[in-house]
Amino acid sequence: METPEPVVWSFDRLLAENLPAAVVWSTPSVRGRSESTLSYRHRTPLAGLDEDTRTLIVIGGGTLLDAAKIFRHEHAAKVTLIAIPSIWGSGAESSPIALATGPDGRKVIRMGPEYLPDVRVFWLELADSVPLRLARHACGDAWSHALEGFLSPLASEDLLSRGASVLSSMLDLPIGPDPRWFEASADACRLQSQSSVGLVHGIAHTLEGPLRAAQPEFGWGHAALCSTFLWPVLSLALGASERAGHRLRDAGIDPGRISEIARALFDPEAYDRALPFLVTHWRSVLRDPCTRTNGVVVRPSTLDYFQRRELRD
Amino acid sequence: MNNRDRLRELFIDVFLLDPAEFRFDLTRGEVDSWDSLGTVSLALGIEEVFGHHLTPAEATSLAGVADVIEVLSRRGVEFGDA
Repeated sequence: METPEPVVWSFDRLLAENLPAAVVWSTPSVRGRSESTLSYRHRTPLAGLDEDTRTLIVIGGGTLLDAAKIFRHEHAAKVTLIAIPSIWGSGAESSPIALATGPDGRKVIRMGPEYLPDVRVFWLELADSVPLRLARHACGDAWSHALEGFLSPLASEDLLSRGASVLSSMLDLPIGPDPRWFEASADACRLQSQSSVGLVHGIAHTLEGPLRAAQPEFGWGHAALCSTFLWPVLSLALGASERAGHRLRDAGIDPGRISEIARALFDPEAYDRALPFLVTHWRSVLRDPCTRTNGVVVRPSTLDYFQRRELRD
Repeated sequence: MNNRDRLRELFIDVFLLDPAEFRFDLTRGEVDSWDSLGTVSLALGIEEVFGHHLTPAEATSLAGVADVIEVLSRRGVEFGDA
């Protein structure tokens, strides 16, 4: 299945363009840098657009990019959308998927060409300004996309071949800030958008709202949840059946190496904080569409696995 | 646990059925969660439990528990008498 993709511009090309009636929405952490670099009107994100706006440049994480995609679709369909990620991981700048928050706080997936940015730009220097904790979570988000897409029961032979290449290139990257993550993350997102994600995302979509509400001081978000649950879910996949291990080995990927990376991303404190919520919301996790396309069958009794002591010590 | 028990447990787990809801003559139309994603999960579960991979055409043609038994029986999985 061919997935539509945005036009790719370099950052130099963006600087060289003279975009008519352009407006910039940027996330607060990069606003100063954006204002001093891009000579377009800067406006408060999501607060509306000037009537004459023809191009919207959005610089931010996955949440802001997704919100801008939804805003453009609902309020400004004729405006050209240029997406610049301020951090890697979500792949929102390259995907026709937008996550909206439902009235109950759960994430709702919207998908369609109307949610695809017209242009995506990587501003590589922004990697320097990503704090280490957020960078680790972003790496966990990207690894979750790549691994769940690769291990998905919906992955085609062609996708497995490309997936092996994506995983191999990610193995060369550090867990931390590195501008190469922008491209790798987009590749990982493309992979999962052509197959599916799995239990890591089923958990993240279900628990993000409740955890944000209950533990606002901890900074829960989608990427933090992906990082927290990637290693337990991967261990489950490698232990529950031979399929995941075979698929990785057949692609020339050492499952042990992948496990080491997932383990390095694991935060026991975050896991302990999230576990009671997993227990409470387990039935919802089981019903989540992502969970139902996981690489191994997720059963009601799978919850016992997540409560094992060895995952918490 | 025999193969009939394994199949029963798989259906209950994949489609989140109450154990009392399961019957060996249960059909797809009677199970709300047996949609396209449910078909994917069922095919994956059959591979995990019985070691047989179903083609997409085989998986989507399954219309009930009896069809699963028929497909697996053709591949040598024994279910015994009902």
